[in-house]
Amino acid sequence: MTKVVVIDGSDKVLASVVRHTGAEHRRLANLVMEEALGQAAVAIDDITYIIATGYGRISVPFADKQVTELTCHARGVAFFFPKVRTAIDIGGQDAKAMKVKDGKLTDFVMSDKCAAGTGRFLEVIAQALGLKLDELGPLSLKSTRKVPVSNICTVFAQQEVVNHLSEGTALEDVVAGLHDAIAGRVARMARRLKVEPDVVFTGGVAKNVGVVKALEDNLGCPVLVPSEPLLSGALGAALTARETVAKLQAQGTFAPVKGRKLEAATFFK
Amino acid sequence: MPYYLGVDIGSGASKGVLTLGAAVAARHSLRTGVNYRLAANELRAGLLQKAGVASADIAATVATGQGAGMVDYAGTQAADIRCCSRGMNSLFPGVRTIIDVEGQSTQVMRVNELGQIINFVISEKCAAGAGRFLEIIANVMQTPLQDIGELSLKSKSPVVFTTGCAVFGESEAVSRVAEGVSKEDILGGVHKALADKIASLVERVGMEPECGICGGGALNAGLVEWVQRRLGVKLLVPEQPDFVTALGAAILAREEAKTTGSR
Repeated sequence: MTKVVVIDGSDKVLASVVRHTGAEHRRLANLVMEEALGQAAVAIDDITYIIATGYGRISVPFADKQVTELTCHARGVAFFFPKVRTAIDIGGQDAKAMKVKDGKLTDFVMSDKCAAGTGRFLEVIAQALGLKLDELGPLSLKSTRKVPVSNICTVFAQQEVVNHLSEGTALEDVVAGLHDAIAGRVARMARRLKVEPDVVFTGGVAKNVGVVKALEDNLGCPVLVPSEPLLSGALGAALTARETVAKLQAQGTFAPVKGRKLEAATFFK
Repeated sequence: MPYYLGVDIGSGASKGVLTLGAAVAARHSLRTGVNYRLAANELRAGLLQKAGVASADIAATVATGQGAGMVDYAGTQAADIRCCSRGMNSLFPGVRTIIDVEGQSTQVMRVNELGQIINFVISEKCAAGAGRFLEIIANVMQTPLQDIGELSLKSKSPVVFTTGCAVFGESEAVSRVAEGVSKEDILGGVHKALADKIASLVERVGMEPECGICGGGALNAGLVEWVQRRLGVKLLVPEQPDFVTALGAAILAREEAKTTGSR
């Protein structure tokens, strides 16, 4: 997903847009940007500073600076929940756990080598079950007896799930098992850091109430989810942009960029 | 002379070998599907029909594989690595290192002259270390499984799969297709990745010649060649590598009948 957040000088969110990144759209961040500018009703020249983050941050030619997603996530999460000490983010192709203090990243662990423990795990299995991603959470809450599902390999878990269903296990018990598998794996990773409250959960998977509950069960503490769990990275980038400008202005070294062009990245050419 | 039966109920395919004394009387295989018990029953029916014998003529049956517990007619269950080792030993008495590439797992055994296991290592946690990875990529490339090995050997610069995960590997293969990378190089890359994993298992167990390869993965001559290149040795390959474990189970059934003196 590509997300854009536009804020004003008092950190008020003027626009937020979430769009599929896809293969070709990897180089078309300009289109998502245009949409956000339209939503905020501002022109590109009104934007003081742009920070790009995430895996594709180098594919944003009109950005002034690139910042790692870990730093931006920590900043964004602290904006939603100032008392956050542990942030867990589960996205489509990785999972991260971050220690945060005063909005700053102090330590992190991440896993991006294997689909188990990422949103991809749920996508693959939801597809095998013929379910939409947003159906998984509510369905799993009906479970009375979740079944164990392997959290080691997505491919094998998919087969296990099919076997469970053929043995007559209720769908909600299988889905609850899946949520427990992904939450268990991510909780185990997060415990490599010291998990302290408040614990905040973001990323696309945080929209799944079943995984939120399973994560609470696995960590043994409440888990907070922002109203827009996908936006913490982009929001953090916007906040960092505003702070960067303030710092440069204080030093008297800020030179506003004029005549920025919203062009597509030519990364693949 | 009595018949002995070995059945190997795998995650993908079920294989059975019926022997008359020490000689193979019939081989049969079928897709396992989701019902192991049903597959096991159909497997025996197929074998009996091929050999033209009745179930009462079978003196002993040993079951192995993922679904071994679902074979109601088996007297005993045996570990698949044990069956595989005995099967390979009967075909190649000189074999000391055995690579068994299955759909859901890969195992490497070091065995003595009797086919008894001295050391072994199993990779069963992850699809990227098993034949399943090849199936997934073959599916992406819309290439029949029996063709992928040969195509992979034509690769001039095999692609590098960056994560070692079959699911992410599938996405990577799709991206490479979109970028115009040749089918041969993508297939070369996935075979090389699996051969590297297999080689690391062999190194952990310690290779002792002669070295052989079996299991459904060994039906893929391309994979065998990639492993040979990686290990730098010539591998012994049985004619029907997917039946080796079932053959070993049949051998164990015969031994069992001898020791217990049943029939």
